[in-house]
Amino acid sequence: MMTTSPTYRLEETADIGLAQKWLSLFRVFMLVGAATLVAGALLGGDRFWSGLLLVSVFLVGLGLAGGALIAFEYLSGAGWSVAVRRVPEAMTSFLPWGGLGVLLVLVLHPSLYPWMSHEHHFAGFKAFWLNRPFFLARAVAYLVIWIGFTRLLVRNSRQQDLTGDARCRQRNVAVSAAFTVLFALTVWLASVDWLMSLEPEWFSTIYGVLFFSGLMSSGLATVVLFGLWLRRLGPWRGVINEEHLQDLGKLLLTFCTFWAYIWFSQYMLIWYANIPEETGYYIHRVRGAWGSLTIVNLLLNWAIPFFVLLPRNNKRNSRIIGQVAVVVLVGRLLDLYLMIVPANREASALPDAWVVGLTLGLIGVAGTVFWRAMKQAAVVPVRDPLLGESLHYHQ
Amino acid sequence: MSRRIFMGIFEREEDILGAARAVRERGWTIVDIHAPYAVHGLDKVAGFAPSRLPWICFALGVLGAGLKMWFEYWTTAVSWPINVSGKPWDSLPAFIPVTFEVMVLLAGVGTVIAFLLSAGLRPGKRAVLPHPRVTDDRFALLIEEADAVFSPVEAAALCAKFHAVATEEYEA
Repeated sequence: MMTTSPTYRLEETADIGLAQKWLSLFRVFMLVGAATLVAGALLGGDRFWSGLLLVSVFLVGLGLAGGALIAFEYLSGAGWSVAVRRVPEAMTSFLPWGGLGVLLVLVLHPSLYPWMSHEHHFAGFKAFWLNRPFFLARAVAYLVIWIGFTRLLVRNSRQQDLTGDARCRQRNVAVSAAFTVLFALTVWLASVDWLMSLEPEWFSTIYGVLFFSGLMSSGLATVVLFGLWLRRLGPWRGVINEEHLQDLGKLLLTFCTFWAYIWFSQYMLIWYANIPEETGYYIHRVRGAWGSLTIVNLLLNWAIPFFVLLPRNNKRNSRIIGQVAVVVLVGRLLDLYLMIVPANREASALPDAWVVGLTLGLIGVAGTVFWRAMKQAAVVPVRDPLLGESLHYHQ
Repeated sequence: MSRRIFMGIFEREEDILGAARAVRERGWTIVDIHAPYAVHGLDKVAGFAPSRLPWICFALGVLGAGLKMWFEYWTTAVSWPINVSGKPWDSLPAFIPVTFEVMVLLAGVGTVIAFLLSAGLRPGKRAVLPHPRVTDDRFALLIEEADAVFSPVEAAALCAKFHAVATEEYEA
């Protein structure tokens, strides 16, 4: 069992030797990613930049999912997840890194977006919305809002470790309420800006919800994996048990199913209406090699997690839920790949070396940044009044 | 066939949890536990077999989805083929929403009915309470007396150790 000492920190509780092995692996991955970044910036074409957009949006999504999970916990007054909260808190520090990657693409390679070229002339609202200065200003505004609010949430939570002040929780409930509203608006707009406008003639009003559902399932999968990692390294031994895993598994199952529901809602309406300006998006994605990838996408993001996580005992089994989490994360990569890369109709469906190198970099950055953020505070919110409830949690 | 039941009545959830655990450690069989509200961890302590309802729910869901899918295919592609905006007769995406609804309906309503049947909760059924206050502020632990290892004297002592307010033996 854990002690209630306020200095319940990572360095004191983790098996440092084992942690160092992981961290050096992450460092190697980060170097691979950095080398890919430099080489791609100098030599790479559209494929490199769409890969960079992919991994950056992926990382931003994990950070946002962290913020959303914290906010949902405060707003619902959930007790069970308090012991887990430091993981989503640490995940919010992915936001600046992912944001930097997105900005690099938008500034250095705007030609990924066909509407940025001079041949495109929009009228009316599209001309007002899709122009470079406003587009960049919006991107910066989203990132400032996300980073600002998540920093506030994390700061109040860490403050409580030191002071034990119950008002920290009340303040965070208010911050969470404001963040949830802004989160819904900005996540929707950012997905439309960064991903949907890759094909500016095409539109879908449910696109933001689809992006949100994938963001949440990949975020929950990441919480599961980091949680199991911290348990193996030591700090979370006796902190999370099968009861927490089962609840995380339930949420993961829910959001995978929600993703499938939204994915199909978008697909079916476009298939049914069969209007030329909408259908082109899917015709390209359900034929040939892209079609095979679309089926694999549905398997990874819904069918496998759904049927594996349905029985109670599978959610409580750390091996099984860990493997499902990996499947969901690969699925999220593929989902974003299918959103971004086929926007260029000539692009081949086969993943290229750029994406592989950048994905390794993504894992390296995520692991390293997570570890650094976890080091900055106790591994559980030691003075949160609901921590006891979370540690003694039963289904 | 009637069986003899030994019943202990308790006032607090800690006591019923402790008593149930002690009864199981002695190897006696717990017939049932009555509590006014859901007590965390009680089902684990009592050692009841896991509910079969999830499997019934899953089977009904598969059945509902399968039947509805077949019915839609049969009506629109076999029995009375209808051309809707030039789409193929067996247009699977168009069948999915109704298939989903029927799956949820059959699984949801069917599971409730299966629960009512297995619990014997038919209309007009009189409540059988081992003690009138188990729906209010008392906990009842029902132990089977058939076990060779069972001893009413020891059972009474065990219940007393966990602050039982009353014990009773009866035929059920």
